[in-house]
Amino acid sequence: MLVFALLIVFLFHFSLQLAPDLQAGLAFAATLGLNRSISLEQESRALDGLLLTPVDRSALYFGKALSNFCFTFLVALVLMPVFSLFYQQNMLRLPLLLVLALGLGTYTGLGTLLACLSVQTRTRDVLLPILLYPLALPILIAAVEATRGVLSGLPLGEMHSWLLMLLAGNILFTAAGLLFFETILEE
Amino acid sequence: MLEKSPLLTLLDILSLILIAGALILILFFTPLERVMGPVQKVFYFHVASAWAGMLSFILGAAAGAGYLITRRDTWDALSLSAIEVGLVFGLIAILSGMIWAQPIWNTCWVWEPRLTTTAVMELIYLAYFILRGGLGTPEIRARLSTVYAIISVITVPLTFFSIRLFRTIHPVVIAPGSDSAFNMTPRMLTPFFISLVTFTILLIDLVWHRTRLAILQIENQKEGR
Repeated sequence: MLVFALLIVFLFHFSLQLAPDLQAGLAFAATLGLNRSISLEQESRALDGLLLTPVDRSALYFGKALSNFCFTFLVALVLMPVFSLFYQQNMLRLPLLLVLALGLGTYTGLGTLLACLSVQTRTRDVLLPILLYPLALPILIAAVEATRGVLSGLPLGEMHSWLLMLLAGNILFTAAGLLFFETILEE
Repeated sequence: MLEKSPLLTLLDILSLILIAGALILILFFTPLERVMGPVQKVFYFHVASAWAGMLSFILGAAAGAGYLITRRDTWDALSLSAIEVGLVFGLIAILSGMIWAQPIWNTCWVWEPRLTTTAVMELIYLAYFILRGGLGTPEIRARLSTVYAIISVITVPLTFFSIRLFRTIHPVVIAPGSDSAFNMTPRMLTPFFISLVTFTILLIDLVWHRTRLAILQIENQKEGR
């Protein structure tokens, strides 16, 4: 609990100071989805059935990550008009969608992997945020900075270092997922 | 029972002598920094412990990879030990940095990239122990926590380069050929490197001791069953 509280302090420091709460809200929402996506498989031992299918384990990871990404992105899409209304700013812009897609892709890629880790522990749901938030903090900062840039009307070229960071995180964590998924789900 | 290697005893004595030597050297023989005064001497131990912390996190990930390849408990014990010792060194780095920052920056904490990434790095490795505590059988515990140790090692380079990537008020120490690098006289540079070596040897010594303890724990558990 103490560690969780500390993490929230760190998260809030960045999100509240750097204007858009959008990314932090999505990060919290995604955590709930991530937890559900894996624990659902465990409840009725559906995971064992999945593991028996004659496909590569990395395909399972990719499928899980992709579905998590799609659901979170959907939430983001619904959230945008709401945010536009409350913040009096047009959020439905193409660059912003790109930033969101990159950020959420990285976040869910890492989150899927860590959810598979945390679901095997006794503490389960509590553990995922503790593992995920600090590791995802650089991604979150990059996403928030890029979002802020887009909202203040900067061209995408101005923020290429943040976008590059998101892209690098995307590749890195997806690669880590493909690499370690088999080890994590070993019986 | 695990025999204590004579090399380890030698390391014990060596690190004791080196710490005493480095302390005397830094306290009495280094020049006073003109602007900052005596508090600048924290720097020698601050950088050395940050260095030792990062080194041991990397060692933890490397040992984790060793475990995943060979599946021998010794590697997991080494990984756990390196991360535990690294956590302590990281804490020393943060605390000693605070002691320095209080008079120099007039505040012991600012939210800037280097300090934040270091604190987040500590939190990540704190979570490592929570993860370990929640895992049931020793085999699953070793397997999953090494995966986590390997994934989280990316924060080490991120922390190291944070003062180079972003604009911050944290001084850049190791930056050959750039203007922003610390300008140290040889009388400061020599003790600096000596304290780096001292902390590295202390790190090896501590990790070794902790690994012995962890292996004993594993053996004890196996006999208990």
